Amino acid sequence: MDKEQLKLQLKQQIIESLNLIGIKPEDIKDDTILFGEELGLDSIDSLELIVLLERNYGIKINDPKEGRKVLVDINTMADFIEQNTTKQH
Amino acid sequence: MARIFITGIGIITSLGESPDENRIALKQGKCGITDLELVQTRYAGKIPFGEIKIETETLKNQLKATESGVTRTSLLALHALEQAINDAKLSASKISSSETAFINATTVGGMCLTDELYKDSNKLSIKSSYLSSYDFGSVAIYLQQRYQIGGIVNTINTACSSSANAIMYGARLIKNGYAKRVIVGGTDSIAKFTLNGFNSLMILSPETCKPFDNNRNGLNLGEGAAYLVLEAEETCKSKKIYAELTGFANTNDAFHPSSLSSEGDGPFLAMKNTLDVANLTPFKIDFINAHGTGTENNDEVESRAMLRLFNEVPSFASTKSNIGHTLGASGAIEAVYSVLNIMHQEIYPNLGFENPIESTKLVPVLSYSKKEISHVLSNSFGFGGNCSSLLFSKI
Amino acid sequence: MLYIHSTSCISAQHTFDDVNLVVLNPVEENKLLAVEPNSNQIPNAVLRRMGKAVRMGIKAALSIVNNQSELKGIIIGTANGGMEDCIKFLNQIIVYDEGTLTPTNFVQSTANNIASQIGLFTANKNYNITHVHRGLAFENAVIDAMMLIKEHPLDNYLLGGVDEISTYNYNISLLDGLYKNEEVKNNNLYEIETAGSVAGEGAAMFLVNGKKQNSLATLRAIQTIHATDEKIIASNLKDFLASHLADGEKLDLFLSGENGDCRLNKYTKITEKIADTTTLRYKHLTGEFPTASALSLWFACNFIENKKVPNNMVKTGSIPTEINTMLIYNNYNGIQHSFMLVNR
Repeated sequence: MDKEQLKLQLKQQIIESLNLIGIKPEDIKDDTILFGEELGLDSIDSLELIVLLERNYGIKINDPKEGRKVLVDINTMADFIEQNTTKQH
Repeated sequence: MARIFITGIGIITSLGESPDENRIALKQGKCGITDLELVQTRYAGKIPFGEIKIETETLKNQLKATESGVTRTSLLALHALEQAINDAKLSASKISSSETAFINATTVGGMCLTDELYKDSNKLSIKSSYLSSYDFGSVAIYLQQRYQIGGIVNTINTACSSSANAIMYGARLIKNGYAKRVIVGGTDSIAKFTLNGFNSLMILSPETCKPFDNNRNGLNLGEGAAYLVLEAEETCKSKKIYAELTGFANTNDAFHPSSLSSEGDGPFLAMKNTLDVANLTPFKIDFINAHGTGTENNDEVESRAMLRLFNEVPSFASTKSNIGHTLGASGAIEAVYSVLNIMHQEIYPNLGFENPIESTKLVPVLSYSKKEISHVLSNSFGFGGNCSSLLFSKI
Repeated sequence: MLYIHSTSCISAQHTFDDVNLVVLNPVEENKLLAVEPNSNQIPNAVLRRMGKAVRMGIKAALSIVNNQSELKGIIIGTANGGMEDCIKFLNQIIVYDEGTLTPTNFVQSTANNIASQIGLFTANKNYNITHVHRGLAFENAVIDAMMLIKEHPLDNYLLGGVDEISTYNYNISLLDGLYKNEEVKNNNLYEIETAGSVAGEGAAMFLVNGKKQNSLATLRAIQTIHATDEKIIASNLKDFLASHLADGEKLDLFLSGENGDCRLNKYTKITEKIADTTTLRYKHLTGEFPTASALSLWFACNFIENKKVPNNMVKTGSIPTEINTMLIYNNYNGIQHSFMLVNR
């Protein structure tokens, strides 16, 4: 899978796992700050995203502080997945 | 309105099975947080808990609780409740009077039977004997039936402030003439459900928790139960009286489902309103039994709220590093500890503390000492922003 | 004395916007599922995590608290809170063998979530509590509200009762014999002489204070009892009426919690006899659930306000021309009982 496909897939997975009602993948830009005003995500969502990374990409984050560095935007998440992934996606 | 006196106490925690055992352990700075032995979970041996090392079957035999469907949560409650009513010398006829109320608190209820609940709720086996024991009300209903309690019976669940609210509700029943005496408190046992829940929030510490320490890294779960008998002044003329409940307040932080606001409006208002009810100025407080869970969020916010209310923050300590966070039981357990502070005019050390939180610089009580104590404020803050404080006073 | 100033109700019937108690939604597979109103008051960002109990609670609450003067307390009765989320989380524990689990179900499953979400959404930092005592969860919320009003007569409080049917509590209660095994309809629920009732869910909310002026109903008195002997219920009801009704005052209506469970008929029969007036019943509209009594209070307010009672709710007697005094009796599974005395 190329990076653009990965980013699209990631957006779909985020929308599904956080149940972002009324938001479509194209509404989330690659550099939309995930925990900013636009999406209104909070600390529980960051934990949900950590689970998403483990269940879908086999990447385990044990420290929520480490999570905060990865979960900035779609770009940082996709980079992190490419560097660490253990599952075929 | 009627003054509310405490005439009986009962408790079971990982520190001991009675008020005396708990007091001795607190004085000695003992920690009851250990590796799990009784709960089957993959976290046994990896994360420590304030587990009571008595098997459920043993508790059943000790307490002669042979009815079917009795859960560990109910057994812990039964143990502590029996102590409290014996301590207050409540006769069977007093207990069955319509003037005696019972207000319980629990957040786990029968969900300590996580695996049985999974099977019953998914219809995966023939029915178990616990079908009417899973909900929160089941504990109080069991105890009502066992003791034939005759007045108002209730169960409160406001997460970690549940039993502080049970105490408050019971006191208000007396003040408003709905009861003359109330048995109030709470119970929770360690459940796979809650331990995985707190783990999913990444707030369980892999070691013994360090309330108010700069390097604290989460809480430990514990289990236990505590009950107090509260009586209207007029009904306990010739009785021994441990302390008076002089203030209480319930507020909401209205900020986030699972964390407190940075300025701690909920905790601040809970403490402030409690002092207002008692008509006391902050400098009268001799000791604060802090909520102090050892999470990054709670301890910093609670510290800020104390700094907001007090020009000079009084002596304070958390007992969460002795017994873990006992959730729905914690408010009642800490009420009993506050009563012990007053009865024995002494304070107990906050274990696990090394360095103060940088932004607040508050240092809790670090060693046992005798101290003149007239007023103890006890805090309980929970998920959903539910904050409550209670004030206990020497009479 | 508690004065009710406005009410709202979400149930399986048309009780929310355009109230219609004549055309009934049918029982399906022995469940009466609540019809959830659309609400544009609550943003998607807030709604996205909520289970049905929380959504029903917050929608019913916001429909009566908006633009009102400040609430001094939010007092909710719910036996189970977010049961669906609770078991979803439990299932995750088993399926993922206690691995990394998503916290949302856990946070949403806490029983105090309904009251705290209402507090959060209305930025209300005052008294906030959740009573969870099964079939008396709402009644204890009522007692709490009555005490608050006695303590602060001029303040406004939100009082409510909420519970949801989840697949899981349905399964547990079905195994426990609370629901019928044979399929029933709204119009034959009381005729089939078997154990169990039909499952229900809903939310009823009340804006209450100590001010009589402009109130639509008065909750004069409440009593709760834990007992299984119908004679105890009978003697308590006689005492309750004797101490709260004025000399010569009669009940205009009796709203019974009869639910079609033949094992519980002894309680409704004996209370009906003591009430000695026109008897109404409502569980063919709402189904049975631990906080159904919150909906019974809503029905009482509705009858008093509109001076009308739908024929399908009348069991015996005729509908009086004036509705001044009503008695509500409920019991949950024969062990928890309550009386409420409601007035114009």
